[in-house]
Amino acid sequence: MLRINCPHCGEREHSEFTYGEDANRSLPATDASLETWNEYVYQRDNVAGEHMEYWHHALGCRTWLKVQRNTLTHEISWVGLPHDMPPSQTEAQS
Amino acid sequence: MSGFRHGAGRLGDKEIAFSFDGRNLAAREGDTVASALVANGIEVVGRSFKYHRARGVTSCGPEETGALVTIGHGATAEPNARATMQLVTPGMEVSSQNCWPSPKLDLLSLNNVIGSILPGSPFAAGFYYKTFMWPAKFWYSFYEPTIRRAAGMGKVPTDADPDVYDRVNSFTDVAIVGGGSAGLSAALSAAQSGLRVVLMDEHAEFGGQLLNEAVNQGNLELEQWRLDTIAALEAADNVTLLRKTICWGRFDGNTLAAHEIVDGKVRHNYHKIQAKKVIIAAGAIERPLVFANNDKPGVMLASGARKMLNHYGVAAGKTMVVFTNNDSAYQTAFDYHDQGVTVSAVVDSRQKPSAQLLAACMERGIPVQTQSVVTKAKGWHGVRSVAVADLAANGQSVGQTRSIACDVLAHSGGWTPQVQMAAHGGTPPIYDNQIAAFVVDQQAEDTWSVAGAEGEFGLHAGIDQAVAAAQAACQALGASGGDISKPTQDIAGELNIQPLWRVPAKGKQLIDIQHDVTSADIVQSHLEGFVSVEHMKRYTTLGMANDQGRTSNVNALAIMAQCQGQSIAETGTTRFRSPIAPVSMGGIGGRELGEHFKPLRRTPMQEWHERRGAVFVETGLFRRAQYYPLAGETIDDAYVRETAHVRSKVAMCDVSTLGKIEIVGPDAAEFLNRVYINMFSTLPVNKARYGVMLREDGIVFDDGTTSRLAEDRYFMTTTTAKAGPALAHMERCLEIDWPELKVRVSSISERWAAMAVAGPQARATLQKAFPAMDFSNEGFPFMGVVHGEHNGATLRVLRLSFSGEMAYEVYTEADHGEAVWQHIMDAGADFDIIPYGLEALGALRIEKGHVTGAELDGRVTLGDVNMEGMASKKKWFVGKNLMQREGLQDAERPRLVGLKAVNPNEAIQTGSILVTEANAGAGADKQGWVSSMTYSPELNNYIALGFLRDGPNRHGEKIYAAYPLKGINVEVEVVSSHFVDPSNDRVKG
Repeated sequence: MLRINCPHCGEREHSEFTYGEDANRSLPATDASLETWNEYVYQRDNVAGEHMEYWHHALGCRTWLKVQRNTLTHEISWVGLPHDMPPSQTEAQS
Repeated sequence: MSGFRHGAGRLGDKEIAFSFDGRNLAAREGDTVASALVANGIEVVGRSFKYHRARGVTSCGPEETGALVTIGHGATAEPNARATMQLVTPGMEVSSQNCWPSPKLDLLSLNNVIGSILPGSPFAAGFYYKTFMWPAKFWYSFYEPTIRRAAGMGKVPTDADPDVYDRVNSFTDVAIVGGGSAGLSAALSAAQSGLRVVLMDEHAEFGGQLLNEAVNQGNLELEQWRLDTIAALEAADNVTLLRKTICWGRFDGNTLAAHEIVDGKVRHNYHKIQAKKVIIAAGAIERPLVFANNDKPGVMLASGARKMLNHYGVAAGKTMVVFTNNDSAYQTAFDYHDQGVTVSAVVDSRQKPSAQLLAACMERGIPVQTQSVVTKAKGWHGVRSVAVADLAANGQSVGQTRSIACDVLAHSGGWTPQVQMAAHGGTPPIYDNQIAAFVVDQQAEDTWSVAGAEGEFGLHAGIDQAVAAAQAACQALGASGGDISKPTQDIAGELNIQPLWRVPAKGKQLIDIQHDVTSADIVQSHLEGFVSVEHMKRYTTLGMANDQGRTSNVNALAIMAQCQGQSIAETGTTRFRSPIAPVSMGGIGGRELGEHFKPLRRTPMQEWHERRGAVFVETGLFRRAQYYPLAGETIDDAYVRETAHVRSKVAMCDVSTLGKIEIVGPDAAEFLNRVYINMFSTLPVNKARYGVMLREDGIVFDDGTTSRLAEDRYFMTTTTAKAGPALAHMERCLEIDWPELKVRVSSISERWAAMAVAGPQARATLQKAFPAMDFSNEGFPFMGVVHGEHNGATLRVLRLSFSGEMAYEVYTEADHGEAVWQHIMDAGADFDIIPYGLEALGALRIEKGHVTGAELDGRVTLGDVNMEGMASKKKWFVGKNLMQREGLQDAERPRLVGLKAVNPNEAIQTGSILVTEANAGAGADKQGWVSSMTYSPELNNYIALGFLRDGPNRHGEKIYAAYPLKGINVEVEVVSSHFVDPSNDRVKG
C-alpha cells in the first residue's frame, strides 16, 4: 500500500485516495486551437521516474492533492496542494 | 520408508487420535500430520499431480512437495494442505489425494508408464499447448474432462464454507518475518527499545532451524536459550507473537500481508500489518538433489529427516543413506547414528569433504563414499535400496552402479535463502557462487534481510546480523534496541558446497516434484527455443504449485543455464510474486460475505418500502424499490399498472438516491456556466433548469436539474450513478483549474430525502397535504421552486417532471423523510395515490423520451441525443472545444430515436442491433442499437429508445431490431423519441 501524507489528514493509506491525472498539464485558453485542446486531453508523457500527479482524497478531506511519485519505485517524495510546488522547484525558481 | 516413533523429541507424551483414509491412528500433541503419518509407518501418502507417482513425506516445513492431503470432509474440507504445516487436532480426518482406489494401488498411475515410453506426449512439457488441438469440440467433450479427472490436486469442496474467517489490521514499528534464531534475537533486541514489535513465524513453534537440533546431546544450553528468549518476548507488553502465521507478501510502504491458521472460533486470520521497519529473517530452504526417482517415498531432505527425529521424536526409517554435495547433511547422519539408527553410507559428490567430517564419520563407523552419487532410488512403493556410482572427475558421467540397501535416503543439494520477502520490494536477486544460490542484498533504510534469508547460515553470525538490523531499525525510529546474549554454542554456517545440479544418469529425475516437472522437461523447453526463464517456467509449469518453486527453482535455472552454456547468473531467476504460500480465500474475504459483501445505502423511506412489500433491486450500493406487487402480480403486471396509474391518477416514487450537491459562493453562477453546457447565471432565484455536463473530450458526462435558491446558492441534482464522479469533477475544476473562483461545493445527498409526486392529481394531492403552500399554476409554475414547512420539516419543492406528467419533487431533511412521505400518502388517499417503483419510473421516462445512463453511456455526444441546440453559444464550457471535432460532428453518427414494435405485443430486446433487412446475418449493415425498452401502457405497445444512423430523418421507416444470439428479430417503426405528449402540455397544466 502506498502511504500518502495528506497535508490535512496526515499519512493515510492509498485506498482512501483516487488517482486523478498527470499534474504537468495546465488548462489551455478557452479559445485555444483544437490541436492544443487535443494535446491537453490526450497526450501524456509516459515517465519512468519522478512524476507529478494529482490524487483526490476522496474518502478523507476530499482535497485534490499534488503528489510527486516515482513511477519506478512508487516512492512518494512530496505531497502538497494543487498550487504548491515541491521545495526543489521552489528553490530553482527563486 | 518405514518410520517409527523413536524417542521423545520436543513433544510430550500426550496421545491424540486422528484418522488417515478412515484408519484410526495415534499422534502426539504437537505432531504435524506429516510426523504423525511417518510415526505410524505410513510410506505412501498420496499420488502426484500428473503421473500419479507414489508420494510420501519429504520434509518438515513449508517446502513440502510430497505430502499434500485433504483435511476434514464436506463443506469445511481443505484440499492440498501441506501435511508438514498442519498440526494434528483430536479427531482430525485426513485423506490422501489424487489416487483411486487407494494411494498404494492407484490405477491412474498408468500415466507414469505412458509418460515413460512416449516422451514428449501426454503430460510432458507444453503438452497443453501442442496436444489435443483438433477437433476443437473434442476439447470440451472429451479431452478436458478426461485430463481433469486424471490430473489435479485434491477436490475443492462445493458447499459454502460455514467457518468464520477474519481480517486483522494492525500497525507496528518493527515487524520481523521469521522466528528462528535470528528472528528471535532481532525481536528481543527491538523489544528493549519499547517500540511496538511483531514477530511472526509460519510454524507452531518458534525456533526455525534450532528445532532441527537434538535436545539431548550437549545442546541443552542452546535449547534453553531458545526457550528463555521466547519467554522474554512473551513477557514483553510491546511484542506481539504470531505463530502459524506465514507472511506472504510485502507491498509498497512496508505493508505486510500474512495468513494465520487459528483453528479456534475463527479458522484463519488475514493480517494486514503496516510496519515502519521490516526485518526479514525468513531463513533458508534445503534443495533436493536431482537423480532418478528422487520423489520416491523415503527420499527426504536431510534437514527434514533431522527435524523429524530431533523435534517430533520420529525416525524416518530403519536404515539411512545420506546423499549430499555440501557439509550440512552430515549432521543428519550423525544424529541418526547417535540415536541408534543405522546409517549405511554417506554418499558425497565432492572429491574431498573436510577431514573433520570424515573423521567424525570414521569415529562412528559410517562409511563415506566420496566422488560418488546416487543415480536412482529403487523400490516398489518406497525406497528399499539406492544405486550408487562413481562420478567422473569432469562431473559429466557416472561409472558402474552398486546397490546399497536402505529405507530412507536423506539428501541435500544445498540451501536456498528465502528471498521472496526481500525481492517483493523490487530488488532483483543476484547469484552468489559461494553458496550456489540467489540472494537479495536488501539493506534499505526501512528493510533489512538477515541471516539465512541473506545467505549467512552460521548461528552466531546470523544473530549478530539480526541484532545489528534491529538496532538500526530502532535507531531510525528514534529509539535504541538492546544487546542480547548469544548462546555459547555456535553452529558453523559454511556449506563448502560443490554444485551438483543433476546426476548425469538416466531415469525420471524430478525437479518440481509437486507439478511432476522433470529435468527432461527443462531440456525439452530449451530445445523448443524457450530462452527466457519466465517462458520456461510457464511452458513447463515449474514452480507454479503451492510450494512456489522453493525447492525447484534454483535446480531448474541451473539446468537451463547448462543447456544454454552460460552461467546461472546470466540466466537469472524468475520474478518473485505474492502470495508465496497458499492463502485461503476465506481469509482474504474475511467477514465481507453475503449481506456484508458491500455496504448497503438506505434511503430515509427504506423501511416504509419494506413494510409495503416492495421488491428491491440493487442499484450501486442502494437497494431501490423496483415495484410494489399486489397479490398474484408479476413484475410486468406491477410496473404496467403503476405506470398507467401515474398517467391517470397520482403516484409517488422515492428518488432520494439522486446525487444532491450544494454550490455556494459569489462565483457560483459563473462556475455553473463553465461546467454546464447551458446558461445558469441567467436563472432567476427559485427557478430550476435542466442542465447537461460534458467531459473535457466533448462526450456527455451527466445530466440533472439545478435550482437557484439565492443569488449565490444553487442546489444541483445528479443522476444516482454519477453522484460521486460529478462531485469529484467539480472539486477538481475548482481546486486545480479555477482556484480564483470563490465557490464551495458540498455533497448533501445523505441529508435530503426526495420524493417525486406525479400524475394529473399531483397538484391536488400536494395542495391538500400542504395547504399553506400555493400550488396553483400561477403561484408555482413549471420549473418553479417553492419553500415550505411541515411539522418542523423543511420542504423544498421543485416542479419538475421526469415522467411527462404534472409532477413535483419534494425534498425534506432525511430525518423527516418517512414522516413527510407518509403525510403525502395520507393526503393522496382521496385521489387514490399509490407508490411506484424504479421499473415504472423507467417505463415513464422511456415513454417521454428522457435519457438516462443507458443512453448517456460515455460514448454519445450532445448531437447523438438531439440536444446540440442546448449548448450555449455565448459562453465557454467544459467540453466545448473537443465536441467540435470532425468525428463527433459526423452526420452519419447514430442519433436518438424512438422505436415502436410493429406487432404491439412483441418485446424489443435491449442491446439489439438495428438493421434494415429481416433475419440479418453477421455481415449485415449495422445502423444502430437499442438502448432501453419497455411496454408502454399509454400506447399499448412495446417501445424502445435507440440510436440509429441519421435517425431523426427516418421517422416512419420500418426496420428490424435483431438480437442474433437469441434469434430475436423484431420489426420496429422509427418514431420520435417523445412517445407521450410531445408538446409538453401535461407538465405545464
